Amino acid sequence: MSGRPPSTWSATWRVAQKELRSGLRDRQTAIYTVVLPLFLYPALFWCTIQGFLFLEGRREHTAVTVGVAAEAPGLEPAGLSAALEGRARPADPPPDLARVTVVPLGTGVAPGEAGEWMRAGRALRPDALLHLSDPRGAGAEEPARLYYDSTESASNLARERLEPRLDAFAETLREEAATARGRDPRELVPFETDERNVAREVDMGAYVLSFLLPILLVLMSVMGAFFPAVDVTAGERERGTAETTMLLPVPRLAIHQGKIVAVCCSSLIATTLNLLALGLSAGHLLNMLALGSEVRIELPLAALISVAPLALLFSFAVSAVLTGIAALAQSFKEGQALLGPVQLVFIVPAMAAAIPGLDLTPGTALVPVVNVALAFRTMIRGEALPLEYALTALSLLLFAVVSIAVSVRVLSREAVQTGGEGVWPTRVLALIFSPGSSR
Amino acid sequence: MPTPPTDPSPAPAAAKAPAIEARGLTKTFSDPRRGEVRALVGLDLECHFGEIYGLLGPNGAGKTTTLRILATILAPSAGTARVAGADVAREPLEVRRRIGFLSTGTGLYPRLTARETLRYFGGLHGIEPEALEARIEELIDTFDLRQIADGRCESFSTGQRQRVSIARAVLHDPPVLILDEPTTGLDVLASSAMIAFVESRRQAGTCVLFSTHTLSEAERLCDRIGVIDRGTLLAAGTYEELSARTGREWLDEIFLALVEQAGVDGRDGREEARA
Repeated sequence: MSGRPPSTWSATWRVAQKELRSGLRDRQTAIYTVVLPLFLYPALFWCTIQGFLFLEGRREHTAVTVGVAAEAPGLEPAGLSAALEGRARPADPPPDLARVTVVPLGTGVAPGEAGEWMRAGRALRPDALLHLSDPRGAGAEEPARLYYDSTESASNLARERLEPRLDAFAETLREEAATARGRDPRELVPFETDERNVAREVDMGAYVLSFLLPILLVLMSVMGAFFPAVDVTAGERERGTAETTMLLPVPRLAIHQGKIVAVCCSSLIATTLNLLALGLSAGHLLNMLALGSEVRIELPLAALISVAPLALLFSFAVSAVLTGIAALAQSFKEGQALLGPVQLVFIVPAMAAAIPGLDLTPGTALVPVVNVALAFRTMIRGEALPLEYALTALSLLLFAVVSIAVSVRVLSREAVQTGGEGVWPTRVLALIFSPGSSR
Repeated sequence: MPTPPTDPSPAPAAAKAPAIEARGLTKTFSDPRRGEVRALVGLDLECHFGEIYGLLGPNGAGKTTTLRILATILAPSAGTARVAGADVAREPLEVRRRIGFLSTGTGLYPRLTARETLRYFGGLHGIEPEALEARIEELIDTFDLRQIADGRCESFSTGQRQRVSIARAVLHDPPVLILDEPTTGLDVLASSAMIAFVESRRQAGTCVLFSTHTLSEAERLCDRIGVIDRGTLLAAGTYEELSARTGREWLDEIFLALVEQAGVDGRDGREEARA
């Protein structure tokens, strides 16, 4: 009845199709491969931003108090309280947001006393204290000193609000003094520095994304491969179908390769769906976050397309490593426990993409995981580094080939295929010392 | 259970040669805790086409290890074995193409449907798509799977699983069937259906090698019986031959006599060696 047997590659693909179909019918695998990348991570991202906006809103609505104490009477300039409270004129009502309430603390307060006041934490202590020194007094270095407690958020918030208002008030006083003396106020500032950001809004957006997306790419590749890797190995053993698979009338190489291909497909599906979902939502969400600033988020389509071959090679390597290691487990639960720490081996180096100063060079391009994160970061920023990209691809290809070869070797071992009693370190020993391998 | 249609063409390669031939089959496992475990010790076995051969032995005797080596799941540590003309060590793929394997666990992929399971195995056996679909329909009718053909195997009863498993095992009409305790755990109906199926293969010219520790099953089905204990084949022959050799009438008595005799011989051998 048998006809011409399929080639190893054809058999590999048939096995992969079956494993993929079977895997996606498993609720847990389907959730981690399709549902989470598509909905949960963008939803979490959205929640994080909403939480950030909420906290920012609460911050804006938080009122702080500043005590004003003077060393001697008559030191407080007119309009200081209004300026500290953010009122343009003394008659204006205080603003609804970023409110500061001024509490007069009296005069005759020495500078040391003011500092002590803040440190002592009295019941009526304001969030910050502005001390006005007598310029004629001994040891006076500056006319005003702002005291705050850096260990308290309200005190930090008071400082953040008061500093620009004090600067603006000082500027106003300077201008008024110059005008009263018939001088041009600009003469009082002989050298002024002005900062200008020459980056375009889109470039700024790409810069922000270049720190976020490479980590997500690696994270999703690993997360997408995690459950399928356990499912096709330890899961199969737990379901009692490992023997059936070993009896398939195809070379064992095709079976092991097929499993790795299926895991890789799941990983790629998860990565693609996640990047797609994030890409569609991130622009809107991040723009919400950066509203009013000089950042515009746009989906880096060219970078996503460019990184696809590298992502494919990386997924193959990840899938091979996870599948090979998961094969040492006897049950699904043990497989999950085993792969938990292994995930970190991939995820932690991916953080390299967020390290300032670490760039894609011919050297870093040879380091697997780090290179794919840095290459993606560089691509998002629109930099063309053909040599480094080629070296990255070469390094990942080598990593994938070695990982697949080692994984297939592990999967082929009779001790792994037939399992055995005991915890997995015992099986690793058995694996190392067991003779020969199944065919 | 209805008799499955069979391919009338003769078994491959050597129809006159034994369907299964094992010589000095040995299997040792390295266990980090127990050290070296000898599951088979120079086992010899010979089964023929059109013959039902029962491998009888207590738990841990080496029955499953023997069948697993013959099915190429395990590699022998020493000795040789040929199945349907193919060497298990040198041509394992060819062996897998020529056998059908069944065990109590059925080993069906739970998330595939019965039809998908048959299609998957048929495809890997290289059966052309049109011929495969026709064969699947034929097996669905033969094994009364119409109602469950498109249901996932995980939802089937034990009996239904066993029927799908048999359909899968005979899909490519193999000349050799290896059955590892096929009736263990089955209810009376499913068990008798399995026995009927095994009997039907004799007429088809198939060699059926099956392991069991159910003596009545072996007595009823087997043309020849091999008694295995501690990894060694103690005796093999027809029921009558074994009865004559041990002087016992019932199979359970024959079995016990052979096992006891082996124990005595083993002790004597060890004492002689010490002397």
